[in-house]
Amino acid sequence: MDPSGVFPTSYRSDRRLIRTRWQALVLALFMVLLLAAPYMVSGRIIAILNMMQISAVIAVGLQICTGYAGQINLGQAAFMGVGAYTASILASKTGLTFLLTIPLAGLSAALFGFLFGLTAARIKGFYLALTTIAAQFLFHFAVLNLPSTWMGGSNGITVPPAELFGLRLVSETAQFYMNLVVATIMIAGAFGIVRSRFGRAFVAVRDDDVAAGIMGINVAATKANAFLIGAFYAGVGGALWAYLIRFVGVDQFTLFHSIFFVAMIIVGGMGSIVGALIGVFTIRIIQEIIATVGPNIADSVSFLGGDIVFAGMNVVLGGVIALFMILEPKGLMHRWNILKSSYRIWPFPY
Amino acid sequence: MVYFINDIITGALIGLLYSLVAMGFVVIYRASKVFNFAQGELVIIGGFIVWFTTMQAGLSLWLSIPLSLVLAGLVGYAIERLFLTKLIGESVFSMVMVTVGLLILLRGLVLLLFGPAVRPFPIIFPLRPLFLGDMLIPMNLLLGGIITIVAAVGLSWFFNRTRSGLRMTAVAEDHVVASSMGISVKASIAFAWVLGAILSTIGAMIFLSGKSLTFLASDIGFAALPVALFAGLESIGGLILAGVIIGIIQSLTTNYLDPLIGGSLGSVVPYIIMLAILLIRPTGLFGWRTIERV
Repeated sequence: MDPSGVFPTSYRSDRRLIRTRWQALVLALFMVLLLAAPYMVSGRIIAILNMMQISAVIAVGLQICTGYAGQINLGQAAFMGVGAYTASILASKTGLTFLLTIPLAGLSAALFGFLFGLTAARIKGFYLALTTIAAQFLFHFAVLNLPSTWMGGSNGITVPPAELFGLRLVSETAQFYMNLVVATIMIAGAFGIVRSRFGRAFVAVRDDDVAAGIMGINVAATKANAFLIGAFYAGVGGALWAYLIRFVGVDQFTLFHSIFFVAMIIVGGMGSIVGALIGVFTIRIIQEIIATVGPNIADSVSFLGGDIVFAGMNVVLGGVIALFMILEPKGLMHRWNILKSSYRIWPFPY
Repeated sequence: MVYFINDIITGALIGLLYSLVAMGFVVIYRASKVFNFAQGELVIIGGFIVWFTTMQAGLSLWLSIPLSLVLAGLVGYAIERLFLTKLIGESVFSMVMVTVGLLILLRGLVLLLFGPAVRPFPIIFPLRPLFLGDMLIPMNLLLGGIITIVAAVGLSWFFNRTRSGLRMTAVAEDHVVASSMGISVKASIAFAWVLGAILSTIGAMIFLSGKSLTFLASDIGFAALPVALFAGLESIGGLILAGVIIGIIQSLTTNYLDPLIGGSLGSVVPYIIMLAILLIRPTGLFGWRTIERV
């Protein structure tokens, strides 16, 4: 809902993303802050920001697939893995520049996602979620059982650093800017996709796929497209991940990681790009807190054994998913919108 | 030839074990329309309950098995009360997502409480295999297969022939319609989860008897998925046939195809079958065909 006095006078202005001067100002300030971040905060925080940017790309893809098109996707980590492996194989075997490997990684992941999305021609609902779980298992199987000269088997692949004009992008700061540029392009693209005719078709299919079909939308193709776009984002994120960690292994892309991404969009709010970003921020902060305090707790409480960080992460994120589904299924974004509209119309109730 | 027949029989019996775990899925689906992704976690919790009552508390098997089943039922009831009752009437999407959340929540809890250590599991079924000529058949799988068939016939009769079973079937059809017909959706879902947890615990006993117990055993939940789909999510009797077919295919792949190609295709073949089923006949062998209206 727009603030008082702001009303569109043409279709073009009705479609605008930035509707008030205040919003433009805040956005500009936010981008300036991000650009200046490496000079303002310490290395540890830059590392966290790097992870957040990569997760943001992947979670936004999942948001398009699940939040907008309504297709439950429990294989986002596998799609990410396909992208990461494509990028690392291309980079280590052929020495292609990252300017090419990142889009190619996205494309190969998109192809993989599209293949599984094609099953949408026959099935729907949580049956579709099952095919994405199958994607997860088949990805593992393929990596571990194909000849190890292809995909490194269980040893993984070491990735050479990204290079631009002879500069090696190895420092966290350099990678931060690379991630920032890619993430900005991808997220801006996501805003474009969701208000295009494809995005409107996604929403129609999500709300009622039978009705959408009657209105003339090709439902199966729309669902397959949703998987294609979601997997493309995952592939690009996977490529960034490969360049950040400089090593890919099959353990980095499990069903659990897929569920972490699902947790991000549920917490942030389904059906909102900004919501996905809020979700990424919240979940990554939670993960960071657990990773920091987990070992301390393990030291003081003796009966809690083993891998407390991973276990604690699972408990907290599983609990967060369940709590949000029960208490606030629309996520934090919905709360924010309620707050926003209430201060805009203050002091009137509606 | 003897080995071939032996492989087929063992495969069929493993398939029946999958059927038993898949029966947990189907019972919960059949009585509440919730597809429970956390089924493998229920198996592992059942396993730990059995381990706790026998190895830790030192009870005899005759006492600990019934006690474990009761405890497992309580756990199922608690999960239902805490998470699923509140979602009655919400979309299928919310329910599925809650079970996905449960999947990692329960996995994490098991890891926190018991850690990744390997534990010996009590010997519930005799370790000595049954010798039939030159063939040997594992005793736990054989007895487990019999239990599975009995359970399938019994539950199938319950859901298709009795009044309370048919009530639950109505809940699976539509929560709102069922409750406006005077059927208690709450009671139905609670019953489903108690039964699902108990079946999972029986599955854990058969699966783990005399072996070692770690949290990784929950993978059997995903191995049972293809069986549930192949049978059709609503059919309990069909699970037997589906389990036997998938078990035999998996056993033959592991024993005859894997040595040729030098990989573990056997472990992934159920998922390939699952994809094929989803593409060719999404309702499975005996599932309900649904008609949709706007």
